[in-house]
Amino acid sequence: MRNWEALVKQRLTGLALEPGEATEVIAEVAAHLEDTCEEMLRQGLTEDEAVRRALSQVGDWKDLRRKILAAKRREQVMEKRVRQVWIPGFLTLILSMLFLTVLYRLGLRARLVWSDPNGILLYTPWLAGLPFFGALGAYISSRAGGSRATVLFVSVFPAIALTFAFLFMFPFSLTIELIMGRPVDFSSVATVLLKDGIGWLLIPGAALLVGGLLAQALLSTRSSLRSTAIG
Amino acid sequence: MIAPGIKRGTAELAVLSVLEDGPLHGYEMARRIEEQTHGSLRFTLASLYPLLYRLEKRGWVRGVWETSGTGRRRRCYRLTPAGKKKLAPIRAEWSELFRALKRLAKVSHA
Repeated sequence: MRNWEALVKQRLTGLALEPGEATEVIAEVAAHLEDTCEEMLRQGLTEDEAVRRALSQVGDWKDLRRKILAAKRREQVMEKRVRQVWIPGFLTLILSMLFLTVLYRLGLRARLVWSDPNGILLYTPWLAGLPFFGALGAYISSRAGGSRATVLFVSVFPAIALTFAFLFMFPFSLTIELIMGRPVDFSSVATVLLKDGIGWLLIPGAALLVGGLLAQALLSTRSSLRSTAIG
Repeated sequence: MIAPGIKRGTAELAVLSVLEDGPLHGYEMARRIEEQTHGSLRFTLASLYPLLYRLEKRGWVRGVWETSGTGRRRRCYRLTPAGKKKLAPIRAEWSELFRALKRLAKVSHA
């Protein structure tokens, strides 16, 4: 009886997978060849002819090895995620924060929406620029092949990152205040949290999303025009 | 026979559809597809396994080693809930494409 596993192992030499994973692939491919060969023998072929036909399913073993590696490697998924999500996301975050710093250096300050002391503080020049950054993130993600949901996620990424920072910072600073024995007025904290949440997270998030949606609409119009222009 | 370029795009649909009826190992899968399409779609070993590994990585199918009555170990694939969920939109996309091509090429049923 032919040792299919040894044959496949030899043909797929250099299959750079984890040892257990490579053994499984070899066993699976060998089992397929064995089944094919047996079927050919049942059809009345000689053993040599059956083996030859079974092996003819793989014209190029190097090509098969390459395809298996490409399909199995997780790095490729990671690379895709990095290109579609993390690079455009962090770029959008960094640029929008740099923009805020520049505006601040230029002397442009946040303003209260209402003259009421409980009014929400809005940084209108910053908010006016955010759709551009949302659109930029969406464009880069879309160019990298990001899905609609990914593209929109990337466009609002700065707001999501700031939300996490807020969620972490508030309990942390409250704990510090309590440890230091300072009195904490929870109702004022809740008011600040709500106002800052609206002014620094919700509204900027909406501005970024507007940019993301506009970019996506423009990109889909362009791609549909391109498909209409085929031929 | 269908040209290889067109076949490539239908491969995912073929594998997911055939697994909808129950778990199969690679060889059985290839045979089942060939039988059900009257030989129009044929998977060789070289085209089947890279595809199965890709689908497995996406979480649409799951392969588990099983031992048959004859004591042979074969890796059986079954559709995961994510794969079942994915099958409907893939079918809809292909169906839309076929309708569009039919209109375009004025192809009618024989």
